[in-house]
Amino acid sequence: MSDDVITLEGVWKIFGSNADAAMAAIRERGLSKADVLKEFSCVVGIADVSFSVKRGEIFCVMGLSGSGKSTMVRHLNRLIEPTAGKINVMGNDMLNLSDNDLRDMRANNIGMVFQHMALLPHRTVRDNVGFPLQVRGEPKSRRWEVSQKCLERVNLTGYEDRFPSELSGGMQQRVGLARALASDPDVLLMDEPFSALDPLIRRQLQDQFMALSAELNKTTVFITHDLDEAIRIGNRIAIMKDGRIVQIGTPEEIVTQPADDYVRDFVDGISKLKLVFAHSIMVPIGEYQPTRPVNFDDSPRAHHGTDLDQLIDIATSTENVIIITGDDGADIGVVDRATLLKGIQGGKA
Amino acid sequence: MTDNGPTNEDHGVAAFVQDNADYYETEFAKIQGKTGFTWSWNTMAAICGPLWGAARGAWGFFWTFLVLELFALVQIGRGLWGELGADQLARYERLLENIAKREAQAAELTAAGDAAGAEAKLKIANNLRGAADKALEAAEAAGSTAATILLTGVVLLLAIKLVEGLYANYAYEAQYLRWRSGQKAQAGLRRSGIWFGLIGILAIWPLTLIRFTVAKPEEFVASLTGGLLGEKLSITEFPVGKEYFTIFAKKGDAGFDWLANNFGDVFDGVTASIRWVLDGLEILLIQTPWPVVMFVTVVMALRLAGPRVAIFTAASMAYLAFMGLWELAMITVALIGAGAFLCVIIGIPLGIWFGKSKRAYAFAEPVLDFMQTMPAFVYLIPIIAFFGTGKPPGVLATLIFAMPPVIRLTALGMRGVPESTKEAAIAFGCSKRQLLFNVELPLALPSIMTGINQTILMALSMVVIASLIGAEGLGALILEALQYAAKGQGLLGGLAILFCAMVIDRIAQGAYRRNSGSGH
Repeated sequence: MSDDVITLEGVWKIFGSNADAAMAAIRERGLSKADVLKEFSCVVGIADVSFSVKRGEIFCVMGLSGSGKSTMVRHLNRLIEPTAGKINVMGNDMLNLSDNDLRDMRANNIGMVFQHMALLPHRTVRDNVGFPLQVRGEPKSRRWEVSQKCLERVNLTGYEDRFPSELSGGMQQRVGLARALASDPDVLLMDEPFSALDPLIRRQLQDQFMALSAELNKTTVFITHDLDEAIRIGNRIAIMKDGRIVQIGTPEEIVTQPADDYVRDFVDGISKLKLVFAHSIMVPIGEYQPTRPVNFDDSPRAHHGTDLDQLIDIATSTENVIIITGDDGADIGVVDRATLLKGIQGGKA
Repeated sequence: MTDNGPTNEDHGVAAFVQDNADYYETEFAKIQGKTGFTWSWNTMAAICGPLWGAARGAWGFFWTFLVLELFALVQIGRGLWGELGADQLARYERLLENIAKREAQAAELTAAGDAAGAEAKLKIANNLRGAADKALEAAEAAGSTAATILLTGVVLLLAIKLVEGLYANYAYEAQYLRWRSGQKAQAGLRRSGIWFGLIGILAIWPLTLIRFTVAKPEEFVASLTGGLLGEKLSITEFPVGKEYFTIFAKKGDAGFDWLANNFGDVFDGVTASIRWVLDGLEILLIQTPWPVVMFVTVVMALRLAGPRVAIFTAASMAYLAFMGLWELAMITVALIGAGAFLCVIIGIPLGIWFGKSKRAYAFAEPVLDFMQTMPAFVYLIPIIAFFGTGKPPGVLATLIFAMPPVIRLTALGMRGVPESTKEAAIAFGCSKRQLLFNVELPLALPSIMTGINQTILMALSMVVIASLIGAEGLGALILEALQYAAKGQGLLGGLAILFCAMVIDRIAQGAYRRNSGSGH
């Protein structure tokens, strides 16, 4: 599995002075979160979290406040020490790194963007972006050169000599993003980067981030409390509740096959048009029983990866059923009006 | 009555009052049903007074009416058995004694043939007799007011009882609401409360009554104990003299002497290092020709704080120069400069430490309070014992008084650095040192600058006190003016200190504002 850049195995975080005893008790007796709080007055931050992220993937972690998602992401660069478990980033066992190696990892390999920007108010935008390089001991000329490039990437040229307080929230967060990119890290950790912004700016930044991420091919762990955002951005989504991961899957899997009622509640409000694809609603061509005579040759054809939105467009321009083709161009399935409407309604025929 | 709130859940009130539930339910409903005042009479509270409060756990009620009833009882006691003219009568007797003495002296003098002397004594005796008559009159007048005082006392007591009866249910309802919301409030009657109330009343009332109603309370108390504990029992003064104080003061002396003898080298080292800083500053300020110092100061004010401060600086220095106070002023500035410099050098690192370690700060906090609130004279004494007199001990006294602000405000600034900003810096691989110099100190700087400013001003306020232990300068000038009541000298010296302080403060603040204002 050399393709996995980040791997977490059974990571636990328990807050409180009695954490180790509480951990042992959980292992032996399987105490619940409430029991741990009552017996050890310890709070379970994250519980038994395991997942892996592939190179170049955007892995979204979605959960409500208090679900442990921000705590979890801080384990990846060890801003928080886990109580138990294994964390591996880029082939390094994070828990066995020396202080120096850990600092090197943070300065060179892992960039982070924070919900509240956390820029340094006494430094210009340029020096804020160059900060990770300064920590690494790079000379000023190099720092300025790199920060110039990064600011270009996030469309902030012309603001280099301003102070953060002179910038709007959206701009500040772009500075935060540029700062995270400055050290050219392999891994980006984004802790609710767009949550504090208003919806319009948020959408802009999401688009900008997706363009950047496609260009730079960074492995990203993206924390959000907004399922829409997670679905827009993520290649895969993990849903957290009470410190546990309830479900991991592609946006389509999450929407079409929610693991439990909790996830289903979230998914209910989500528009499925762009998440459900022809192959998951079509009737295989052999099983299709037409209600009226159909001329397959006149029917429009669509790739099996076409989403419902496009299928509706096609359906409105023809009286015929839609034939779904496979990757090799062969006809593999049929979508007729009834199937399409069912699909829009429930996501699944 | 009102049925729109949870406060009227029946079991609520019943569970709270425990007995007499029906009565309190009606009364509470009455109170809650009206916005203004409503008549709600509690006979039990009126009769038992503070004891009712004690039993019900209404301690505010208990203490308030304990004191009020006591006041009324004292009036009644004075009216009933108080010897109202007692003070005046005692004075009358003393005067009579005095008169007898003078007359005796006069008789002696006459016998010795000193007629003039005898006449003088008799004159005094006559004057005293007039005073004695007045005292007697006053005593009789006081005695005749007894009935009025008694009546006042009784009326007062009745009024207090009335207030108790009317107020009790209001107080108790408020307590009920506290109890409901889970705050600490007693429910129901409690025997322990009654006992405590009784003990409280017994401890307070009898002695106080005796003190204010009986003419000779000390003898009266002694007679109550049957004379077992002596003729007189002191009840207004604690029956201890200076015996313990002397023992501990002597121990303190010995301790200081021991320290001075055994750690002389340490103290000498401290003195030497302070003198080193002081000498440097004095060379800079006093030995440098005055035109140079003035020119540099004005230019500095102009560059750092702008033309207005520069003009003010020039005017202040002209005042110092023309009043012939230039050298004294420079000595003073060197003194506080050395003090402030050392404060900053020592205080900022300490402040950083206290800002980072909560435990260290918890230990330091009382020490800092002590340094700021302890009167300067108290630590001047050991300073003289350890360091002698002169300028370095003066600087040291300044240090003790002026260092807390810079420590406190540095610590405050350090703790005010947002966690999220620190976290971000760590996430980018900052070491502890990088974090301190690149993030924490710059963000804490405004607070630290305020601290330095405060420290400078407090150092200035110490110059007069420092002059008490031999530090020269403007402070000594004022001290001298104080000793000879030289009003003009004092005023001019005071103005000189004021101008020094304002110039330093304005330049420092202007410099800071320019720094923090640049780029914004």
